[in-house]
Amino acid sequence: MSALGYYLERAGIATTGISLVREHTAQLRPPRSLWVSFPLGRPLGIPNDAEFQHAVIKAALELFEEASGPVLRDYPIDAPEVAIESAPACPVNFQRQSGSWQDRLASELSLTSPWYEIGLDKRAGRTLVGASTSHIHEILQRFGEDLDAHRIPADLKWFKASIEDAKTYYLEALSAEPGRHNARQLYRKLWHETELGRALGLFHAMFMDHPQRAGFARILLPRDAQSSIDDTMN
Amino acid sequence: MVRLSDLPSDEQAHLTGKALPPLGPPVWTTPIEPLKNMRLALITTAGLHLRGDPLFEFADGTYRPIPNHTAPRDIIMSHSSVNFDRTGFSEDINLVFPIDRFRELLDQGMLGSLADFHYSFMGAGLEPQAFEKGAAQVAGLLKQDQVDAVLLTPV
Repeated sequence: MSALGYYLERAGIATTGISLVREHTAQLRPPRSLWVSFPLGRPLGIPNDAEFQHAVIKAALELFEEASGPVLRDYPIDAPEVAIESAPACPVNFQRQSGSWQDRLASELSLTSPWYEIGLDKRAGRTLVGASTSHIHEILQRFGEDLDAHRIPADLKWFKASIEDAKTYYLEALSAEPGRHNARQLYRKLWHETELGRALGLFHAMFMDHPQRAGFARILLPRDAQSSIDDTMN
Repeated sequence: MVRLSDLPSDEQAHLTGKALPPLGPPVWTTPIEPLKNMRLALITTAGLHLRGDPLFEFADGTYRPIPNHTAPRDIIMSHSSVNFDRTGFSEDINLVFPIDRFRELLDQGMLGSLADFHYSFMGAGLEPQAFEKGAAQVAGLLKQDQVDAVLLTPV
């Protein structure tokens, strides 16, 4: 982010940017930056709050009035996390499934898919699912086949896109109810209460053990889930 | 509130573990117009692109154009990092790519015009210098589009 600001400005395009990691911006010194205290993934602060977002944009655009730089300004307003007790309840009652991985993932999908469709309606048909060339049923079927055979997927490009779609599908189902959700609660549910979370944890362990593929493991699980998910995998 | 000190220790260590020397001597381009006359573009490093566009690779310094009138439902994300929240972006594209907010500012007369194309990079897995070539190409495209200034959003 900071690098783009620097290089575009050097080419004659005036830039202002939002910074989520103040320490990086302070080191790289792009021309104009507004540091915000919001979580990674939320540079405008609060979803579906146009007034809040406009205030952040206004503060960033005001940096064009500065006479010289680099300018790194701290935005003074936080975006408080939604309290778990006031967030909508998770609509899916996940239960430990039995049988093969193919069966476990297929059973769980039958619980999850009605809520994905409800979430799709809530978002007026918008979904982030679609990176993979495969439908969710095929994705989970192939995940199950690989796990049952205890092999890492052969087509890593397909696998990368399909992991993204599978997680997104679940998270959009988990957040199908109207209202503001607690993101950490949604991810905790995904990683610790679903067969998909356990499946990705097992893939992570298999990649870590592979002499040429260990680097791929880091796009499977977030760093803060890598240790805690081990207890729930088996 | 989220500051580095609020993050798990392994996340803090990752984010502060890199030495990032300045990219070069300070650069500065003074806008020649007031904001209400400027033509603006959005550029994000969120790994956004149109449905059907090539996905971003594991580490990727390339960029994708996003036409100004693209419907939000036609934009998806293929970012390599798993260490940020995507659920807010699922709820509202403007949380990362504030195109509706820009259109509202335009309607209010706060901005002069919006670019015909906005752009997305994917900010993971590469050193900052890896974006120099792509940024130079985008700068050329922005100039062809008569763009005066850019708002950059990370993820």
